[in-house]
Amino acid sequence: MSGYSIAIDIGGTFTDVVLRHRDGRFWVDKTLTTEDLKQGFFSAVESVLKRASCRPDMIDDVIVHATTIVTNAIIERKAPRCGLLTTEGFRDVLVIRDECRSDIFDNQLEVPEALIPYELTFAVPERTLADGTVSRKVDRKAVKEIAKRLAKEKVASVAVCLLNSYKNPESERAVRDVLQFAIPGIMVSLSAEVAPQMREYPRASTTALNAYTMPIAKPYLDALREGLRAAGFRQELLIMLSSGGVIGAEIAGSNPVRMIESGPAAGALAASFYAKLLSLPNLLSFDMGGTTAKACFIQNGQPLITTTFEVDRIYRFQQGSGLPVTVPCIDMIEIGAGGGSLAGKDSLGLLTVGPQSAGSKPGPVCYGRGGTDPTVTDSDLILGLLDAGNFLGGEMKLDEKGARHALADFGKRLNLDADQLALGIYEVVGESMASAVRAHATDRGVDWRGVPLLAFGGAGPVHACHVAELLDSTTVIYPPMASVLSAFGTLVTPLRLDLFRSDLGRLGQLDWTGVDRNISEMIEEAQSALLKAGCRKEEVRVGIAGDLRYKGQHNELTISLPSDLIEARNVEAIRAAFEAEYERTYGIKLDDVDIEVVAWRVTAFGPNVHQDEIRSQVQAAGEGSKRRPVRFSSGVYDTPVHVRSSLRPGKTLTGPVIIEERETTIVILPGWQASVDRHGCIFANREERDLEPHSAARALEQSDQYR
Amino acid sequence: MNPILLRVLWNNLISIANEQARALRRTAFSPVVREAGDLAVAVLDERGRLVANAVTGAPGHINTMRTAGENFIAAFPPDTLQPGDHLITNDPWLAAAHFFDITIFSPIFYRDKVIGFVGSCIHHTDIGGYGMGAGARDIHEEGLWIPLLKLYEAGEPNKTLFHIIRTNVREPEHVLGDIAAQVSAGRIGAERIAALCERYDLEDLQQLSNAIIERSEEATRAAIRKLKPGTYRGDTIFDVPGGEEVVIKVAITIDTEKGETTTDFAGSSPPSQLGINVCLNYTKAYNAFAIHCCLNPDVPNNNGSLAPFNVIAPESSIINARYPSPVSARHVVGMHVPMPVMKALYHVLPETVLAECAGGLWSAQIFGRDRNGRAFASSMFNYSGGMGARASKRGLSATCYPAGISAVPIEVLEAEMPIVFDRKELLRGTGGKGQHAGGDGQIVKFHLKTKQPWMLNAIVSRTRHDSDGLAGAGAGAAGRFLVNGKSVSDARKLVMKPADEVVFETPGGGGFGALPRVRNAPVKKAGAAKAKKANRTVKRNDARR
Repeated sequence: MSGYSIAIDIGGTFTDVVLRHRDGRFWVDKTLTTEDLKQGFFSAVESVLKRASCRPDMIDDVIVHATTIVTNAIIERKAPRCGLLTTEGFRDVLVIRDECRSDIFDNQLEVPEALIPYELTFAVPERTLADGTVSRKVDRKAVKEIAKRLAKEKVASVAVCLLNSYKNPESERAVRDVLQFAIPGIMVSLSAEVAPQMREYPRASTTALNAYTMPIAKPYLDALREGLRAAGFRQELLIMLSSGGVIGAEIAGSNPVRMIESGPAAGALAASFYAKLLSLPNLLSFDMGGTTAKACFIQNGQPLITTTFEVDRIYRFQQGSGLPVTVPCIDMIEIGAGGGSLAGKDSLGLLTVGPQSAGSKPGPVCYGRGGTDPTVTDSDLILGLLDAGNFLGGEMKLDEKGARHALADFGKRLNLDADQLALGIYEVVGESMASAVRAHATDRGVDWRGVPLLAFGGAGPVHACHVAELLDSTTVIYPPMASVLSAFGTLVTPLRLDLFRSDLGRLGQLDWTGVDRNISEMIEEAQSALLKAGCRKEEVRVGIAGDLRYKGQHNELTISLPSDLIEARNVEAIRAAFEAEYERTYGIKLDDVDIEVVAWRVTAFGPNVHQDEIRSQVQAAGEGSKRRPVRFSSGVYDTPVHVRSSLRPGKTLTGPVIIEERETTIVILPGWQASVDRHGCIFANREERDLEPHSAARALEQSDQYR
Repeated sequence: MNPILLRVLWNNLISIANEQARALRRTAFSPVVREAGDLAVAVLDERGRLVANAVTGAPGHINTMRTAGENFIAAFPPDTLQPGDHLITNDPWLAAAHFFDITIFSPIFYRDKVIGFVGSCIHHTDIGGYGMGAGARDIHEEGLWIPLLKLYEAGEPNKTLFHIIRTNVREPEHVLGDIAAQVSAGRIGAERIAALCERYDLEDLQQLSNAIIERSEEATRAAIRKLKPGTYRGDTIFDVPGGEEVVIKVAITIDTEKGETTTDFAGSSPPSQLGINVCLNYTKAYNAFAIHCCLNPDVPNNNGSLAPFNVIAPESSIINARYPSPVSARHVVGMHVPMPVMKALYHVLPETVLAECAGGLWSAQIFGRDRNGRAFASSMFNYSGGMGARASKRGLSATCYPAGISAVPIEVLEAEMPIVFDRKELLRGTGGKGQHAGGDGQIVKFHLKTKQPWMLNAIVSRTRHDSDGLAGAGAGAAGRFLVNGKSVSDARKLVMKPADEVVFETPGGGGFGALPRVRNAPVKKAGAAKAKKANRTVKRNDARR
C-alpha cells in the first residue's frame, strides 16, 4: 500500500489541490479556476502528481472533491428547463414564499425569482393529511396528462412536492412511477426524499433546487468518474457535502442540493480538525478574503450545523432575501468585510467600511488597476501591516503612494488625515466583523466570549488579533497551509452522511412504531450509501439524534440520543437529556411545559482519518531580521518582521511583531505573545481576563418565577 | 467626539440592542414575536432619550421606546433607582399602544450611578380579557392594565405584581417566561453597555448620546431641506370588520427652513366602537416610519432622527384614541397610516413612495374541539394582500406592508390543529393595472375536521374599498371574506357549523403610472425588460446593510 490520497477543491476563483501521504507529507498547488471545471480538475490533479512523482494507481486512499458547480448553476440560472408538481390548490407555493420582506425599511425591495416558473408548475389532484392519511389518492390520469405537457416542453428534470409528504411519501412515489413510465429517463426529485421536513415552502424550494441542478451536476460527476477511471485511478470519487459529510459521487449526483456549500464546508472541517489536534474543542474559524469574511463556530470539535440556509440572495448579506434550502449545512456567517471592502461616508457624515467591495477588479487602489476609493487593504498597507514589496511573495508590487494619496483625499471629506483614516478603517472593519459574529452566536445560543480564533484567508491573519480582542478572546491560531485549507479539510474528514425527517409529536404521546420505522429506514439508507462509497460494513458507525423543544417555542435543540434510549422508549431519559442541554444553553429549565419532538436525525460515519503530523513540503527560508514602523491604535512601533517558514517549532515572539508568508501576513498586536508549536501552527496569546459566563438566562435563573 | 470613536461606539450600541433583540426572539413563546419580530429593544440615556434601537420587524415600535422613556423617567427619576431595579408597564398611552405589549426598562449602573436604560417591549401571548381581536367594548374588557411600576426592587421581585399577572393571563407559563427573558435581556444589555464604557473609559453616555442625537437630527433636517416646501395632502378610505368605514386624512407641511415636517390628521374618522383605535404614540410611529423609508432609510432611529417629524391629530379621533376607547387591534387601522402619508409624499419624493397597499393583515384564530372531543385554541395566523407598485417596479404579491410578517406554513397549522387547507394561491390580476402593476392578493380556503360547532375570530379589512393606484394607475381589487360562499362582515368572534368553509381573498395593491399607449407598448416593453435585467445585476452587486 502506498498511502496517498488527493483532494481537489474548485472554488469561484481558485482551484486548490492537495496530495497527502499517510506519513504526514503534503504537496499543494493553487491555480486559477478554469471555465471548464472538468478540465481544471484534471490538470490540477496531473500537476500535483507530477510534483510528487506519484502515479494515479498509487492513490489508494481517498480522492475527494469539493466543487462550486451547483452554486454556479443556481446563480447563473442557465440550467435546462425544469418542472414542478404540487398539490392542487397550491400551485403558487414558490411564488408566494413565506410572504415576508427581508428588510422592512426598503420600499424598493425585490424578492428572488422562483427557480421554476409558474408555467412549468402543475397541480396534481391528490391530498395527504397532516397525520399521513391519504384523503384523496393521486389522480394518475391527470399525472399522465402532465407528463405529456412535460415531454412537449422538453423538461428533463422534475421536482415533486406534495403537501404533508414528509409524513407519508406514498403519493409522491405514485407520481414518480407515472412520470418515469411515461417519460423514460426523466430525472425526478421527490421532496420526501430530498428534504423530508415540515413547512411546504422551504421543502418545495429545496426540491426545486435539487431538480434544477441535477441535469448539470450528474453529468459532471459522471464525467469525472469516467475520466479518473480512464486515467488509471482505482478509487471511487468522493464528494464533499455542505454538511461536512463526504459521500460517493453517484449518490451526490442525485442529491446535488447537498453540495451547495461544498467548499466552505471543507474549510470549516479543517478548523474542526485543528480543534481536535490542538485539544481546543471550541473554536471560531475566521476566514477573511478579498470580498467577504466567513466565520463558523466549532463546538466540541464539530462545526455548528444548520438545517436551514439560503442560496442566491438578492442582497448578499441580508437574511431572508434568498432561496431557502433545508438540508444540513455547516452553519457559517458571511460578512461583507474583506480586503477589498470600500470606505464610504454615510448621510450622517460618518465613516463606513463595506459591504461594497472593489473585488479583484479594479481591486484596492494599491493594486494599481484603476481603483480610486480606499479599501481595507490600502489602509493595512499605509499602517505598515503589509509590505508593498512582499505581497504574494513579491510577485505583485503594491502602490503605496497611490494608496496614501487616495486615503488622504478621502480623509478630507471626513476631516481626517491619511493615517487617522487608515486607523479608522481598521477599527471599523474589525468592529463590524465582531458584531456580526456576536449576532450569529446569539442566534444560535452560543457563548461568543473568549473563544479562540483560527485565522486564515488572505486578510484573516492581518485582522484576527483585533477581532479577537473585540470578542474578549485571548487566543488566535494561524494554521499552516492556510491558503489551501479547504482542500486540506476534505482529506481529514471521515465518510459521513446526515439524514433527517420531520415527525412532530409530544414526547409523552409519540407514535413509537412510526418513530422506529423512520429511524430504521434512515439507518438503512445511510449505511448503504457508505457501503457504496467503499466503506466496510463493520466500519460504519451510526448516531441518532432528535430535534426537541418546549411546546410553544420555536427553536429546537438537537439532542444526541443513544439507541438504547430509543429502543427502550425511555421518555424520562430523553426528557432529562433535553433539559440538561436546554439548561446548559439558556440557564433554566421549565418544569410545567411539555416537550415536543420536531424531527429525527441519523448520521452514519466511516472510520476516522488519522493525521497526527503535518509536514508541508515547503522550502524553509533563512532567518530574516527586518524591521519596519507600524501604526497601531496605541501608537507607532518599530516592529520586527519575520518570514513564517523561518520560524522553527518552539520559537516565541513578543508583539508587536509581523510574520509574513506568501499569501498572507500575520499581525501580532502589542500586548500579545506568539509561539510556534510542533505542527507549525502559530499561537498568539494575550493575558487572560476574567470572563463571566454569559448565557441569555443566567439572569433568568435568578428570577424566582422558575423556582 | 472624534468621528471614528463615534462610529465605533454607535455601532456597538446598536449591536448590543440587536443582540438582545435576537436573544428574545429566539427564546420567545409568543408566536408573533418569533414569526414577525414584533418586539423592540432599545438603549436610552439617563434623560430617557432614545439613543439606539434594534432593527426588528415591527414599525409600530419605532416610537414606543421613546414614549416609554419619557414616561418612565418622569415616574422614576434615575437618582431614585437602585441596582437590581426593573421597571414595567403596558399602559397603551404611556408606552406601546395596547395591553399585549409589555415594556420593561432596566437601569444601566456604571461607576455607581444610572447612566441610562436598556428597554425592551414584546407582544405577549396573552394579557387576559377579550383576547386578540377588535370585539371588546371598552379598554377594560381588553385585559390586564399594568401601570408604571417596579417589577423588581433592588433585585427582589414584586411578588404581588407577579401574582396578579399569573392570575390574569391565559397562559401564565408563557407570559412569565417571556417577561423573565425581557428582564434578562435588560440586565445583560446593561452589563454590556457598562463594559463598553469601561473599555473606552467613558464617564457616562451623555457625550455619546448627544453626538448621536445631534448628528441624526441634523442629517434628517438636511434631507428635509432638500425637498420642495409646501403642504401636500393624501387620504385613504377603507372598511374594517363589521363594515365600518375609516378615513385617514393627512396634510403634510414641509418646512425647509426649520427642516421639519408636520403631519396634520385633521378630517380623519372619529373614534370607533371597535378595538381598532390607535393611540397617538402609535400613529406617530407609523407616520415616522413612512417618511423615514421614503426620505432617509439609512439613518438609524433615535430621538434625533424622530424629532423633525411632528404630528397634529384631532382630539379624540380614530388615530388619537382617548380613554376608555378599546385599542387592542390597533394595527388594523395603524398599518394604513403610511398610505395617505405616502400619497402626500408622492408630490415631493415620487421615486421612493409606494402606491396604496392592501394594508392590514388578514388574521384568523380558531377555537373548538377535534374529532376526539379534545379542545384546541390556535394563535393568530395571518395572510397578506398585495403591496403597492413603485415608480420603477411592480408591487410584491401576497406580501405584507408596512410590517414584515411571515405566514405560518400550512403544514405547521395542519399538524397543530384539526384544520385542512383547500387552496392558497395568488389571485392574478387583482393588483392594480398600470405602467407597474400592484402586487396581487391571494385566496386562502380552509375547513375544519370537527363534529362540533367552532369559533372563528377573523380580522379582515378593505373588503369594499379598492387600494388606489398612483400617478394614473388602476386600483388594486378589494378583498372578500366568505363563509360557504357568502360574504361575511362581523367584528366579533363567529360561531361556525362543523362543515363550514372559510375563504379569504386578500386585496391587491395599487398600480403605479398610467399604462403606456398600446402603439408604443412593444418598444417600451423591450426597454423595460432590459432595464429590469440591468437593475437586477446592479442590485446583486450592491450588497446592502
